[in-house]
Amino acid sequence: MSTLTAQSGLGWEAARRRAFLWGLLPSLAVLLVITLVPALALLVASFTPLSLTDAAATFHFNDPLVNYRHLLEDERFLRSIATQLKLSISSVALQLAVGLGLALLLNGRSKLLGATRTVFLIPMVLPPIVVALIWKIMYTPDVSPLHRALEAVGLPVRSLIANPDTALWAISIADTWQWFPFTMLMVLATLQMVPDDPLEAASLDGANRWQLFRYIVFPYIRPVLVVCGLFRLIDSFKAFPLIYVLTDGGPGTVTEVTNYYGFIQAFNFSYWGYASAIAMVMLAGVFMLSWLVGRLGWNDHDKR
Amino acid sequence: MTQRRQLLQAASALSATALLPGFAHAQSGAKKFQGVTLNVSTFSAAYPKLLQQYLPEFEALTGAKVNFDSPSFPVYNQRADLELSTKGSAYDVVNVTFIYSSRWINSGWLTPLDDFIKNPNLTPADWDVNDFLPGARAPETGKDGKLYGIPWTAEALLSASSRFDLVQQAGLAYPDTTDDLVKVLRAVNKKERVAGFVSDSHYGWTFVPYLHAFGGDVFRKAPDDLYPTLDTPEAIAAAEYYASLLREFGPDGAITYTPDQVTQALKLGRVNFTDAGQLHLAQLGDAATSKTIKTLKFGQVPKGPAGRFPGTAVHGLGIPTGSKNKEAAWAFIQWALSKQTTRKAVAAGYGSPARRSDIDSKEFRSKQIINGNDLAQLALDSIELASKTGHMKYRTVSVYPQVDQQLNKAIALIASGQASAKQALQQAQAQSITELKRAGQNL
Amino acid sequence: MTSADATLTLPASLTAAALPLPATRRAGWLRRQARGLVAIALLLVVMFPFLWLVQLAFKPGAEIFEDSLLFVPTLEGFRSLLQGNFLKSFWNSLAVSTLSTGLSLLIGVPAAYALTRWQFRGRRHVALWILVTRMAPPIAFTIPFFLAYRWLGLQDTIAGLAIVYLTFNLAIVIWLMQTFFEAVPTALEEAAYIDGCVVWQAFWRITLPLASPGLAATAVLCFIFSWNDFFYALILTRTNAITAPVAIVNFLQYEGWEWTKIAASGTLVMFPVVIFTVLVRTYLVRGLTAGGVKD
Repeated sequence: MSTLTAQSGLGWEAARRRAFLWGLLPSLAVLLVITLVPALALLVASFTPLSLTDAAATFHFNDPLVNYRHLLEDERFLRSIATQLKLSISSVALQLAVGLGLALLLNGRSKLLGATRTVFLIPMVLPPIVVALIWKIMYTPDVSPLHRALEAVGLPVRSLIANPDTALWAISIADTWQWFPFTMLMVLATLQMVPDDPLEAASLDGANRWQLFRYIVFPYIRPVLVVCGLFRLIDSFKAFPLIYVLTDGGPGTVTEVTNYYGFIQAFNFSYWGYASAIAMVMLAGVFMLSWLVGRLGWNDHDKR
Repeated sequence: MTQRRQLLQAASALSATALLPGFAHAQSGAKKFQGVTLNVSTFSAAYPKLLQQYLPEFEALTGAKVNFDSPSFPVYNQRADLELSTKGSAYDVVNVTFIYSSRWINSGWLTPLDDFIKNPNLTPADWDVNDFLPGARAPETGKDGKLYGIPWTAEALLSASSRFDLVQQAGLAYPDTTDDLVKVLRAVNKKERVAGFVSDSHYGWTFVPYLHAFGGDVFRKAPDDLYPTLDTPEAIAAAEYYASLLREFGPDGAITYTPDQVTQALKLGRVNFTDAGQLHLAQLGDAATSKTIKTLKFGQVPKGPAGRFPGTAVHGLGIPTGSKNKEAAWAFIQWALSKQTTRKAVAAGYGSPARRSDIDSKEFRSKQIINGNDLAQLALDSIELASKTGHMKYRTVSVYPQVDQQLNKAIALIASGQASAKQALQQAQAQSITELKRAGQNL
Repeated sequence: MTSADATLTLPASLTAAALPLPATRRAGWLRRQARGLVAIALLLVVMFPFLWLVQLAFKPGAEIFEDSLLFVPTLEGFRSLLQGNFLKSFWNSLAVSTLSTGLSLLIGVPAAYALTRWQFRGRRHVALWILVTRMAPPIAFTIPFFLAYRWLGLQDTIAGLAIVYLTFNLAIVIWLMQTFFEAVPTALEEAAYIDGCVVWQAFWRITLPLASPGLAATAVLCFIFSWNDFFYALILTRTNAITAPVAIVNFLQYEGWEWTKIAASGTLVMFPVVIFTVLVRTYLVRGLTAGGVKD
C-alpha cells in the first residue's frame, strides 16, 4: 500500500485523484456494460416465461415467480444440483489429494524436479476441449489403450461412460487430471515459504518425515488447501466441455449437472425464461462462495 | 487441387447453363450472384456430402461462394433451432429436419417457397415440383398450405443384417416378427465376436416402430389430441422389449452409438443387426469401405402384435425468414434439387431420393441392388405402408421435439439398468406433459 | 512474499524427551535419486493420456484399431486438416485471442494502476464484483449476449467474441497487474512528481517499464484463456468467426469418427498454449486465482 504524500495544497491532490479516476473509469464502464447489464437482463428474463417460439406473447410479467416455482417442482433440476454437488466434491477432493501429494514429492531444488514440475503444468493449461478429446479417446473402448491393455491381461472393462454407475466417476477422474496442477502449484509455492528453523530443530530432535509433515508443514499449508478447494469448487460449476463431449448429460441424466441442464433448456428448446432462472440460481451460488472467499481475508490488496 | 477445381467449374458452367434460367445471358463474364456468399447448413449425411462435391458447378454458374456447414444431427438441430428462433441471418439455406419441420414452419421461421417455384425467371418450367413424392412434400407444408421445404430425402426405417451368413449357419431365416428377432439374436449374438444388435441413440426415431408394433403410440391422437401416451401398458411392454435388445445383444456402450458409428460398426462387421434408414444402409454397399458387403441382407422392421409400422422420414431444404440472400438461396435449392443434380446423385449410389422420376429410374433401381437385396423396393413398400396407416402423424406435431428427447432418455435409462421400463416411461410421461404445457399446449 | 521467522512452539509429542533416538541417517544422495525416479515414473503415468493423443495424430488412419505400438509416422492426419474449415478457425482463434488480449490490457492496466495507488471507499465491493465476474458461469452471460448481439449485428464476428472475453480477461488483468505495480516502489514515482511529471507521465516513464515482465506474463495469460474458451464460441459463432475448439467438435461428430484427424487437430490447437505456458509458468498461479488468494 502506498500513501500519497501531500506536497502542495489540495488542488494538486484533487488533480491526482481525478487522474486516477480517469484511469479507472473505462474499466468500470466496460465491466458495467458487459457484466451488470446482462445480469440485470438475466434477472428480468427469469421473471417471464420467455420462449422464442412466440417471443412477443411470452414476454410478460403476469406471474413473475412462475419459473422459480417450477424449479422447485422440477425433479430434473433438483437432481442436477445433486449431481453437481457429487461431481464437484469428488473431483475437488481428488484434486487436493493428488495436488498435495505431487507437491510434496516435487518440492526440491534439482533441475530434474524443476523440469518435471513444468511438464506437470500441461493438463491445466490445455484447452478444455482438448482435455475432453483426450479422455474421449481414453474412454472409447474401440480406440482406448487402457481398455485394450486391460482386455489383453484378461480383465475386460466395459465402457465407463456408457455405464450409469461409473459415468460420473469417469468425468471426475478426467476433471482431476485436468486441474490437479492448480493445487500442486499453490501448495508448492507455500511449501517454499515454510520456515527452515522449526523443521531443522524438529528433525535434530528425531522427528521422522511423517511427523514433520503432520505437525509443522501441514498446519502451514492447510489455509492454502482450503482456498484451493473453494476456488476449484466455484470453478467446477462451469464444467461443460467434458460433459458435452464425453456423455452429453447421459446415460439418462446421470451426468447432467445444473450448468448443463441450463444449457439444454436455453439452447435446445429456447425456453429462455426458464433457463434464465436456472442461471440466476447458479449466479447466486457463485456469489455466495465468492463472498466467502473474499471474507476469509484473501483479498489482500486491501491490507497493503 | 485448385486447377482441377477451375477445370471442373469451367466444364460444368458450359454444360449446366440450361439448368438455371436467366443465367444463360451471362454476358461479359458478369454472373448473376457474383460476390454473394451463401451460407448453407444441413446435418452430415450422404446427399449433403454429394452436394459438397458438386459445389464448384454451382459456384461457376452463379458466381456465388458457398459455405457449406454440416455438423452432426443433434448439433445441427440445436444450432438451426437457435438460429431460426431468433430469425437470424447466419444461414441462407437450412435443412428442414423432419421432427422439427412443424415447429419451424408453424412458428413462421421459414420462407414460403411457392412464389419462387412459380416464378419462371427463377425456376425453369421443367423443374416440376410435383415430381417430388406427395408424401414427401406433406411434412414440408405448413398449416397455411404453403410449401416451405423441398425434400431431398424420403427414407424408411429398414432392418439390416451385416452377417446374415451367421443367421443362415444357425439354420434360421430373416426375422419377420418381434419374437423371431429375439430368437435370431439369441442364436447369433457374440458368434465370431460379432455383437447381435445396435441402433443409433436417437430412440425417438428408432424405437417408435416398436412402440407402434406393440400397440402403443406417442400421442393419443395426433395431430388433434396431443395428450402423450408414453406410460400405457403397451408402451411399457415395447420399451422393455427394445431395451432388452440393447442390453442383451448390444455391443459395449451400445446406448451411445450415433448413426455414423452404427454404419461403421456394420461395415466392419462388429455388429450384426440394426434398424436404420436407407440413407445410411445404402452406404453398406460401398465396396471400397464395407467389409461385409458379401454377407448383407435387408428386411422390413419386425412385425409386432399390432402390426408392422416402419418409420419414415423426410428432410428438405428451406430458407430462413432472416436470410438476406433469398433469391440466391432459392437458386441454390433449385440447383441442388434439380432433376439433373438428383439424377447424378442417384447414379453415384445415393439411396433415398424424393423425386418420383428418380425412384422409377433404371439407375436408381440397379444401384440399390446390394448383394441381391432390392433396397429400393423395400423402402418403397415401407413408405407406401406408412402413407396408408398414417402412423407417422405423431412427428408432424410442432411439440414433438420435446417428447423425442424424453423418449431418448427413457430408453437409455432402461437399457442401462437405471430404471425399470415402467419407472422410466412414467417419468418421460410426466416430463412430456410439463414440457408440452410449458410450450403452451392445452392438454 | 513474506517469509515468516516466527518461533513455533513444538507440540509436546515432538520434544526430545518424547521421541526415541533416530537410527543411522541414510545417505541423502540415494534419497534424492529415489525422489527423482519416482517423479519421472509418475510423470509418464500421468502424462500418458496426453502423449497418447499426440502419437495418435501421427498414426496412419488404417492402423488406428490395430494394437501395435510401433508404426511409421505420417502427416496424413495433419494434411487432411487443410481441407475444410479448420485452418480458418485456427486463424480466427489467433485473431480473437490477440484482439481480446490487446483490449483487456488497454482498458485494464490503467485501472489496475489506479486501484494500486488510490485508496477509496467501496474498494472491497469493486474487488468482490471483479471476483464474481471471473467466477460466474458462462451460461449467465450467453443468453443476454446472444440476444444483444443478434440485435447489434455482432453475432458470429471476431470483434463480438473479443468483447465477450473481456468478461473474464479484464478481471485477470486488473488483479495481476495490481500485484506487479505494488512491487514498484512509490519513491521512484514521487521523484518523478517532484520533477514535475503528471500521474500518467510517471506511470508511462517509470512504473510501466519496471512492471513490463509482469505485463508480458499477463498478456500471455489473457491469450491462453481466450484461446481455450469453448462455451462462448460455441454459442456466439457460426461460420465466420468459428474458433478452433469449436471446429474440433465438428470433427468429433463427422462420419467415420476420424480419430487421426481429431488427434491432429487437438495437437495443433494445444501447441501454442503449451509453449506459452512454459514461458510464464511462474505467474500461472497468480493468473488462475485472479487475486482471490494472498500470495
